[in-house]
Amino acid sequence: MPQTFQQLPEELQLATSAHVKYIQSLDTRKDEYDYWLTEHLRLNGLYWGLTALHLLGHPEALPRAETIDFVLSCQHDNGGFGAAPGHDAHMLSTVSAVQILAMIDAFDELETRGKGKAQVGQYIANLQNRQTGTFAGDEWGEEDTRFLYGAFNALSLLGLLSLVDVDKAVDHIAACANFDGGYGVSPGAESHSGQIFTCVAALTIAGRQSLIDKERLGRWLSERQIAGGGLNGRPEKKEDVCYSWWVLSSLEMIGKTHWIDKDQLIAFILRCQDPEKGGISDRPGDMVDVWHTLFGITGLSLLQYPGLRAVDEVYCLPKSTTARVLGR
Amino acid sequence: MADQGGSQHGIARTSRARTEEQRLNDLDRIKKYGELERQVRARAAAQGDYSAEVLQLTGKLLRLNPEYYTIWNARRRSLICGLSSRPSAGSSCSRACSSTTPSGTTTTSSANSSSSCSTATPRSPGRRTAGTSGTTADDDDAASHDLEMLKSELRFTIPLLLDAPKCYWIWSYRLWILRQATERLRPAVARRIWEEELGLASKMLGKDRRNFHAWGYRRHVVAQLESAALAGGSMAAAEFAYTDRMIKMDLSNFSAWHSRSRLIPRLLDERGADDTARRAFLDSELNTIRNAINVGPEDQSLWYYHQFLMLGLVTPEGRAAIAPALALADRVAYVTREIGEIKELLEDYEDEKLIYEGLFDYTLYLCRLENRQPNSDERAGLVEWLGKLRRLDPMRNGRWADLERDCGLKEGREGE
Ligand SMILES: [Zn+2]
Repeated sequence: MPQTFQQLPEELQLATSAHVKYIQSLDTRKDEYDYWLTEHLRLNGLYWGLTALHLLGHPEALPRAETIDFVLSCQHDNGGFGAAPGHDAHMLSTVSAVQILAMIDAFDELETRGKGKAQVGQYIANLQNRQTGTFAGDEWGEEDTRFLYGAFNALSLLGLLSLVDVDKAVDHIAACANFDGGYGVSPGAESHSGQIFTCVAALTIAGRQSLIDKERLGRWLSERQIAGGGLNGRPEKKEDVCYSWWVLSSLEMIGKTHWIDKDQLIAFILRCQDPEKGGISDRPGDMVDVWHTLFGITGLSLLQYPGLRAVDEVYCLPKSTTARVLGR
Repeated sequence: MADQGGSQHGIARTSRARTEEQRLNDLDRIKKYGELERQVRARAAAQGDYSAEVLQLTGKLLRLNPEYYTIWNARRRSLICGLSSRPSAGSSCSRACSSTTPSGTTTTSSANSSSSCSTATPRSPGRRTAGTSGTTADDDDAASHDLEMLKSELRFTIPLLLDAPKCYWIWSYRLWILRQATERLRPAVARRIWEEELGLASKMLGKDRRNFHAWGYRRHVVAQLESAALAGGSMAAAEFAYTDRMIKMDLSNFSAWHSRSRLIPRLLDERGADDTARRAFLDSELNTIRNAINVGPEDQSLWYYHQFLMLGLVTPEGRAAIAPALALADRVAYVTREIGEIKELLEDYEDEKLIYEGLFDYTLYLCRLENRQPNSDERAGLVEWLGKLRRLDPMRNGRWADLERDCGLKEGREGE
C-alpha cells in the first residue's frame, strides 16, 4: 500500500468523514423503530462506535462526559452492567463498559461515581464455572467461549485476572480445540472463526499461546479468504466483513497475517462501505451497521491502511489504550 | 465478541431516507412498543408475579423483539415462581424471588402453598416422596401442572426460532426450560421432552444444514439424553448414522463431517472394535471420502475430512482415535496408497490446487512417519507441486513462501 491516503485511487479511499458522521448520527435516530429494537445492544454499540472513531483518529467525536454518564447509568449494584438503563446485567455489556472506560481513561470515575473496579471484577469472576473453568454470560447459565474471552479481556484491563481460575479456563479452551487447528464454542463443536478469535485471544492474555497448533490453525484461517478477497467464517460459507476481524486478528496473533492477500482484502472491505452516507456493510451493496463498520475499520487497521490508528489484535481497542492500561 | 445479532446480514442497501408516511408509521410503532415495554417492566418489577398476564405481555414483546434478553429473564423469573415442584439443588428460585416476598398470585388451578418460593420444601425430583408440603397426589398434580407449563413455553419459542434461527437468546431460553424439566420432572417424563427436542434439532438442520446453533444444540441435547440424570445410554451409533444421512444429502456439509470426526473414537470403543474391525472401518471411511473427492476435488470440506483420517495414521493423538495397533509398515502403506490415488486425480483435474496441496502434505507425512528427509524424487515432486500452488493460488503466496523455506526447497527451485 502507498504510504498516504491521497496517492490511492478513488475506489480505495476510505470515506473517513462520512464514517465519523454516520457513527455520530447513531444516537440521534430516536424516531426510528430500529433504534428501540436494538436497545439491548446500546452499550455494545457505543463500544463499537467509539472504538471505530478512535481508530479513525476522531476520539472526540462522541462527548466524553456524556459517554461516562451513560456507561455508569447501566451499572447494577452487583457490579455488572446491562445494555442500557433498566436492562439486566450481562457479561457482554459489562465487557463493553470496561472497554469504553479504558479507552477514555475513566477507571477513576468508576471508583468515585460507580460501584468500583473490585465490584465489577467480582461480578465477572462469579460467572466462572469453577468445575469446568468456562464462563456463563449471566446468572441463567448459558456458557460459551465468547464469555470466557470477555472475562479475560475485562479482568486483565482492570488488573483483576487473579480473581479467576486461569488454569482451569485454559484447560477448557484446550478441550475446545479441533483436529483442523481451530476452536469451537464448546468441546466437540465445529471450528468457527469467531470462536477461534476468542480462544486464541484468551490464550494470548493468559500467556499460553504454546498450546496453539499455529501451522494448522494458520492454514485453516488463511483458507478463509475466497475469490473476491473477502473472508468467510467456516469452510464453504460466504464472505463477510466482520470476519476481516475474527480471522485477521487471529492470524495476527499467531504471526501469519502474510498468509492471505492483504490488498484484495482491503479492496473487499472498501467495496462494502457507503462512501456518501458512511458506514460499512457485511457485503457490497448491503445495509450498513455499526458492527460491520467497526470490524471493517479494525480489519483495515490490521492491514496497515494509511491514516488509521493501530488496533490491538487481542483486545480490539486502540493500541494506545492497551499501551496505557497494560503497558503492552 | 462473536456475532450477537442486531447486526445487519444480507439486507440490501436502500436509500435511507424515509417518506413522511414511513416516519409517522415508525413513530406509531415506537409508541406502541414503548407502551408495551412499560407494562412489562412494571409487572416484572413486582418479582414473584407469575400470571397469565405476565406471560402474555412478555410473549407479545418477545414476538416483536426476540433479542430483548432482559424480557426473557423476566419471563424466567415469573415462571420460576409459577412452577410447583422445586429443583433439587442450586435453587434459582431463591435467587429470583429472594428480594421480595413472592405474592403467590398463581392463577392456575393447581396453585397451592408450594407455589410460594419461601414455603416450598426442596424435593429431589428423582426420589419423590410425600414431604411436609403435600401428599403424593399433590405431587402428581404439581408435576402435571409443571409439565404443561414447560411444554407451553417450548411451544411458544418454536415460531420465534423458525423466524430467527440464529438468535442466541431464544436457543438459550429453550435450553433453560429443558433444564427445568430435568430438574423438576420425573426422569421418564423429562426424557420424553428431550427426545422431542432432538426432533426439533433435526428439523432446524433440515432447513439450514450448516446452522452452527442447531448443530451445537443437537450435541447438547444428545449429551443430556445420554446422561444418567435422564437414565440414558450412548447414542454415538445413532448420531453417526445421522451424519451419514446428512452427508448423503450434501457432500459439502463440513458440519456433518466434523461431527463424524468427533464421534468415531467413541463409536469404535463402544462397538468393542478389535484391530481388524478398526482397519476395516478406516478402509471404508477412506473409500467414502475418496469417492467424494473424485466428484468434488474443489471442496475444502472433503479434504479436511481426508486430512483427519490421514492424521489418524501419522500423529499419536490421531492414531489413538481410529486404529492404534496399526504397525508402522501398514501406516506407511496406507499413506503411500493415498498419495497414489490422489496422483490419479490429476488425470481428470490438472488445475485443482487442493490436489497439489494434498500431495505436498501427504508426502511430508510419509517422510515424517519414516523419520527421514524427502528423497530426490519426492523433493522434485514437492518443488513441482509448490510451483503449481503458487500459480493456482496466488492469494496465499505468503504461506507457500514459508513452506518453501521451512521444507528447505528454496535451493531446489533456484537450481532448476
Ligand atoms: Zn457479519
